[in-house]
Amino acid sequence: MAEPLTSELRKALLGWFYPLRYNLEKWAYALQRISGIAVTAYFLAHIVETGNVVGGIGVWSVPTLGSARDVWTATVHFLDNPLFDTGLVVFGFMLAYHTINGIRLTLTEFGLLQGRPTRPDFPYEPKSFTKAQRALFWLSVLFAAATAVYALNVFFGV
Amino acid sequence: MKESTRMLLHYATGLGIVIAGGLHLFTVFLTGPYLQNLAFSGGAYSVVEVYRNTLLAATLELLLIFVDYHALNGIRIILIEFHQGAKWERGVSWILAIAGILLLVYGTRTILIANALA
Repeated sequence: MAEPLTSELRKALLGWFYPLRYNLEKWAYALQRISGIAVTAYFLAHIVETGNVVGGIGVWSVPTLGSARDVWTATVHFLDNPLFDTGLVVFGFMLAYHTINGIRLTLTEFGLLQGRPTRPDFPYEPKSFTKAQRALFWLSVLFAAATAVYALNVFFGV
Repeated sequence: MKESTRMLLHYATGLGIVIAGGLHLFTVFLTGPYLQNLAFSGGAYSVVEVYRNTLLAATLELLLIFVDYHALNGIRIILIEFHQGAKWERGVSWILAIAGILLLVYGTRTILIANALA
């Protein structure tokens, strides 16, 4: 008999946010999912936000330039505060990580950088997480940090 | 659609996002002051100028399609990994497909109307 949905959900979420028993590959996995959800949340908000370029959700024919300009300018003004700017910095980090780690996963998907199959030996580190893969993982973290610094500079002028 | 086809599309759209999204970030951040590019009009890459440029608007539409698929399929993957079952999977897939179509319609409306702004 299958477990009830809520207990499965709790287990799955704990599996993501309780990292003590994890190896690096699982960290990469968890971060890929968290960043994916973050970027999706941004995407939804961005579609709504850019919808205001033409005047918002009620507009389904070409409006006058002036009315579109007013709605968009008000939107930009509304979004111009430290809370949303901080969100964009976090988004930059998540997007950059998701991109490079996603390239690593794409290479893995097509059988690249997997290493050769060997006998599992103590301490049983996953053979599939090769040096090249580790390098790409750390590169994605580095790239994410660099993007966050760049975003801090753009939005806060540090 | 077979699961493997969906995943192939996931990787293909991911690659597409790197290219189309790279161009998008380039026009917003690297073609001039960010605030000027965020303004409604005035600069070479201000909001309306970008949408009026049919080539750039077309890459935005492509980016919208790619991200729409990639994001919602990603959520689908997460949800069907949480819990397995034919009913659950069908329900999740349908709801996300409908959400994806609604987002695509709204985003495409923005691009088409903004492209036609006088």
